Amino acid sequence: MKHPFLESDLYYNFKRTPIAVLSFFVFLIIVIMAIFADIIAPHTPFEPLTLNLLNGFTPPMQANEFTGTIFLMGTDDQGRDLFSTILFGLRISLFVGLMAVFLAMVIGVTLGLIAGFVGGVVDTVIMRFADIQITFPSILVAMLIYGVAKGLLPPDLRYEMSITVLIISIGLSEWVPFARTVRGSTLVEKEKEYVISARMLGLSYPQIMVRHILPNILSPVLVIATITFALAIITEATLSFLGVGVPTTKPSLGTLIRIGQDFLFSGEWWILLFPALTLLLLALSINLFGDWLRDMLNPKLK
Amino acid sequence: MSFLLVNQLSRIFDLSEPWILRKIKGQQKKLLKAVDKVNFSIERGQTYALVGESGSGKSTIAMMVAGLIKPSSGFITIDGYNFFSPTIENNIKSSLRKSVQMIFQSPYASLNPRWRVGEVLKEPIKAFNLIESENGQKQRVCELLEQVGLSERDINKFPHEFSGGQRQRICIARSLASEPKLIICDEPTSALDVSVQAQVLNLLKDLQKQFSLTYLFISHDLAVVSTMANRIGVLKQGILVEEASPNKLFEKPEHDYTKMLLSAAPDIKNVSKIP
Amino acid sequence: MLEIYNLDVNLSYRGSQIKALDNLSFNVYPGEILGLVGESGAGKSMTGLAIIGLIEAPLSISRGKIIFNKQRIEQNANAFRGSKISMIFQDPLVSLNPLRTIGEQLVETIRTHIKFGRKEAIEYAKSLLEEVGIEQERFDAYPHTFSGGMRQRVVIALALAPKPSLVIADEPTTALDVSVQAQILELLKKLCRERETSIILITHDMGVIAETTDRVAVLYSGTLAEIGKTFEVLNYPQHPYTKGLIEATPRIDANSLNSKLYQIPGVMPDLKEIPVGCPFHKRCPRYIKKCVEIKPPLLNERAACWLLDNEKGLL
Repeated sequence: MKHPFLESDLYYNFKRTPIAVLSFFVFLIIVIMAIFADIIAPHTPFEPLTLNLLNGFTPPMQANEFTGTIFLMGTDDQGRDLFSTILFGLRISLFVGLMAVFLAMVIGVTLGLIAGFVGGVVDTVIMRFADIQITFPSILVAMLIYGVAKGLLPPDLRYEMSITVLIISIGLSEWVPFARTVRGSTLVEKEKEYVISARMLGLSYPQIMVRHILPNILSPVLVIATITFALAIITEATLSFLGVGVPTTKPSLGTLIRIGQDFLFSGEWWILLFPALTLLLLALSINLFGDWLRDMLNPKLK
Repeated sequence: MSFLLVNQLSRIFDLSEPWILRKIKGQQKKLLKAVDKVNFSIERGQTYALVGESGSGKSTIAMMVAGLIKPSSGFITIDGYNFFSPTIENNIKSSLRKSVQMIFQSPYASLNPRWRVGEVLKEPIKAFNLIESENGQKQRVCELLEQVGLSERDINKFPHEFSGGQRQRICIARSLASEPKLIICDEPTSALDVSVQAQVLNLLKDLQKQFSLTYLFISHDLAVVSTMANRIGVLKQGILVEEASPNKLFEKPEHDYTKMLLSAAPDIKNVSKIP
Repeated sequence: MLEIYNLDVNLSYRGSQIKALDNLSFNVYPGEILGLVGESGAGKSMTGLAIIGLIEAPLSISRGKIIFNKQRIEQNANAFRGSKISMIFQDPLVSLNPLRTIGEQLVETIRTHIKFGRKEAIEYAKSLLEEVGIEQERFDAYPHTFSGGMRQRVVIALALAPKPSLVIADEPTTALDVSVQAQILELLKKLCRERETSIILITHDMGVIAETTDRVAVLYSGTLAEIGKTFEVLNYPQHPYTKGLIEATPRIDANSLNSKLYQIPGVMPDLKEIPVGCPFHKRCPRYIKKCVEIKPPLLNERAACWLLDNEKGLL
């Protein structure tokens, strides 16, 4: 017996769309490399003891003039192996992105479901709030939340909590698309007869929302989640680039790009190029896969 | 007293714009009388058909009998109880819910596409706490499937694996699960093909005899109604214009609207003569 | 006027070809209304699309030809579309542009097909509107201001604009109320009489067939089960499927309450699962050994059933 997924139209189409397969595997490779960074990375760039300042500014694939070591992507000013820092940076970027999307999804889906199903004043309040929030660029919202949270936290916690704060601020700035889509789908689903027949059984609103409506509105949520994932990673990179994100001792891709930017005009191009290329590849693969997924799950095409 | 009594039933929908816009534009409230002082009653074990075109208010009446929309005025009693009576106790409301079920027009939208058939049929059993044990529930589900002409093997299938007619059978099984006394059939066969329609109509007739069910049958199709109903009410824009037995309605219709409906309804009997 | 010979339409599904229409042959004569009846999935609409030349991937014509006025119809060729054959769909809103008045749309359609000046076209458009029962004052109205039945009348006017000799009406009244349906069918009949336009009326409603059509073709699983004069087919059906279909159709009759409807057992098979032999044999009450093995051709130019293949030629 084959697994039903292998028989599904989704998988059938996936196999026949080279761009979907390619982007999916590029993404998969990046994720695997990030997860197993400890094993794959040739150096441990965040152990100060293993660093040798003499290795600084080694160009990619060239032997260092003092130590003779060769680095795949070169090194930065402190002699850290760029390839290894990118691997560890990816890990942080992916983690922040994933958690932020998850947070945005939980908030957006919950509010959207309530707005769509309950309707009336509740709907108006939730959706007008969403309207107001969406008039600000999400990066601004994230910075605002980030700033407020940093201000409220006691100084000794600021450093430890910076990633959590980052996740919360990105998550809170990206929930609106989820809520809007879910509300729209809920409005359609709640008029369907299977929901009416559930109401005739006297089930409560939360029971109907969670058990009947939620499973039927998940496909658009999945599409938005993939696209928001790429967005969240970019937002994180932007915030880190601006210096309000993760600390430099635990750099994400954005932090690496910021560091690299300092050296761009002094000829050490690789310090900027490789982290930036990685970010590009990551965001592009997620977006391409998300586009394909959207085409597939589009109810009009079904 | 009749099993189902509908007395001076009215429902008004408020279609006007929000208060503030109305004040600015100086408009009056826009009210739609969807149902206007409708009276009828059904005896136990009988079928009453409401016939009308779109906008006649027949579905609104169905929703009010089902207890899903509150009447603007007038009342409905089922076995003597009224869903919207202010003094109704919760346990009576629950048993009323149990005894009124509904079958819908679209066999596609009336089943949750993500639920297996077994889960669909177990839901009413669980919601009304009819059977406690897991095994008993499963047995009951199999029994229901057999009653509507499906088999035990279908229990783990999803709705999309069935044809339209089979889905409608599943819906019928679901409505039977709570052992109801009254089933509201809202255009139950108008989305089905002719040969399947005959199967579903016959099944409904059989079940009525077997469980002495009372049907409120809603349809726009006079031919379908004539095979099902003991009494027929003709609705036009929310008003019950004529009510009669099928004999009388088809032989001697009184209201002009009924006459028009009868002459407009396509009937296979009226095959044009050889040219 | 229209001749269809041995038409096969295939549906490609995951690399394999499934037969959606199988060896379909029939004719349409000038000035008649031919009913195309069958259950959903029987291939009624697909036949309509093939005639108007709109068969596109994943569908393809693998065999046979369609001849219209001695000219062969090619699929996806613009030459024929809309000029001599018009199509009316179930949902009038699909055929109307909501942003333009019905007058503009009519004039545009007229001028793409007929060499008319603007004034002439407007005159002609107004006369068309009158013909389908819409007051000329509504010339500048937008589609949303019309009721469903009125919209369908506008669509009929649009279809008639190029003076077609064949109109294909695909379930034109399914979305309408009975009273409006009767008016639209009456209109189609009138147009057929007065303009001598042939109409192919696609429907699932046996009542509509009985009251509207001159001849009827019954489709089952992409195969022509029976064809003939409506009067003969409905009164003396030769194919067990037609017979079942007629008996399963409810009639307006006070006495039918106490009897049960005849029911054909089972359902029409999915395209992927059409059995060998006669596609109907699994549901047929009278099938013989031959039905299971060989697919019957159209016998006596009437019905595709082996039971006709005996000396009497009757069921």
